[in-house]
Amino acid sequence: MSNTREVRTAKQAEEEDVFFGQTVIMWARWSVIVAGIALVLWTSTNVALLTQTMPFFLVLMAVNFFLHGRFVMGSPLNRTVVTVASVIDIVLITAIVVLWPGSHGLNNQFYVLYMPVVFAFALVFTRKIEVAYTVFAIVAYAGACVLTGTVPFDLGNEDKILVMRLIVIAAMGFLGNYYFRIQRDRLARASKGATRWASSTASRV
Amino acid sequence: MSTTKWNPGSHLVSPDGKWYWDGVSQEWKPVAQPAPKPEASLTPPAAPTSSEKSRGLDSFVGTIRSEDLASGQTVLVWARWILIGTGLLLSFWTPKDLLTLQVQLAAIIALAFGNFYLHVQLLRGRPALDNVVYGASIADIAVVTALVLVQGGYPSPVFIFYFAAVVGISVAFPTVVTAGYTALVVGVYGVISLATATTDEYPAVFIRLLTIAAVAVCGNLFARHEAERRAEAIRRHTEMLDEIEQKSSTGGQPDVEHS
Repeated sequence: MSNTREVRTAKQAEEEDVFFGQTVIMWARWSVIVAGIALVLWTSTNVALLTQTMPFFLVLMAVNFFLHGRFVMGSPLNRTVVTVASVIDIVLITAIVVLWPGSHGLNNQFYVLYMPVVFAFALVFTRKIEVAYTVFAIVAYAGACVLTGTVPFDLGNEDKILVMRLIVIAAMGFLGNYYFRIQRDRLARASKGATRWASSTASRV
Repeated sequence: MSTTKWNPGSHLVSPDGKWYWDGVSQEWKPVAQPAPKPEASLTPPAAPTSSEKSRGLDSFVGTIRSEDLASGQTVLVWARWILIGTGLLLSFWTPKDLLTLQVQLAAIIALAFGNFYLHVQLLRGRPALDNVVYGASIADIAVVTALVLVQGGYPSPVFIFYFAAVVGISVAFPTVVTAGYTALVVGVYGVISLATATTDEYPAVFIRLLTIAAVAVCGNLFARHEAERRAEAIRRHTEMLDEIEQKSSTGGQPDVEHS
């Protein structure tokens, strides 16, 4: 049994990862879009505010329409485009945190949008890319808080809240990718016809 | 003596290689000496009914879902360790008052003991009791909720730990159970937030609840896709083996009789 050739090549498996993973990323992005648009429509008190804030989500929506359309048509984009789209997610969420009228940086409640985006990305890409992406999200959010002057660096409550949020963003990336690697391992063994989870699961625990 | 034979190719094996899962008697048994089960040789095992299979986490054991559960539980355990570690760190960082600190530490330490038990069970390759696994996830939610309540409800920044808890739940449990736990989190935290937030803060409450639900959907969606991919991979592998076997039995010639 162990000599049996694996049905899928590594390249094919990677392509499948991106194919199936794209769905998760797209649904995470749809949740961000729905949350954002609902919030914009809910909280806007005048026309100027609405026209300033809505474009962030329209850009995300355009990106996701394109990606989802390609996916539905059976020609999903390659990993470079998916990565670039995910980077755009982080850039836009960070822009919202920095530029949102009324509340900036640490006081902005939109930071929770990082969670589904980072988690979904971690479910799709290999560890190095995921770590880079998670660190990018952490640095972007920390930078946004520092840039807006909402973190005093006095080891007080604000600093504590920032550290807490950064740890949870990192945890989203770690847990997502940890599960992704377990699943890769299981799929590889399933392709080889193995039915045991024992050794690899134990080594990962 | 039991008629159950140890066949490494057809059983799940524990991480230490000392135990295998006997799907007939629904027990973990030592590999070297299959446990005697006198009644098993006398009476044929009753086929599990669909109602039995739909209950409890152990309903997955013996099928491909048992692996889903095992691999998902490792994520759940690590998510809980992150919750415990971060909770301890932040508890000692500018504590507000004695009562809050006492509640925080007691809850976190209790959670740590529970998680240690589950982690040990995973390391030894033994399935944890269903109720313990369910209860541990309830405890995660309860601890975060207690901390949120102690810190005044909506203003508490601790609610983000719901994300870590929901991530573990979404990949470890099947869709229905995940939906139940997520609904519990959204319901409980929603009620607490709406009771303690001002109307201006309702949009922020909405976005928090929506993102918690989104994380659960993403995790469970991925877990389901992976299960489908594995099933497909196994099917292809079986087909390939059948093809090879057929070729070898016919000496590489087309099997005219069966074609």
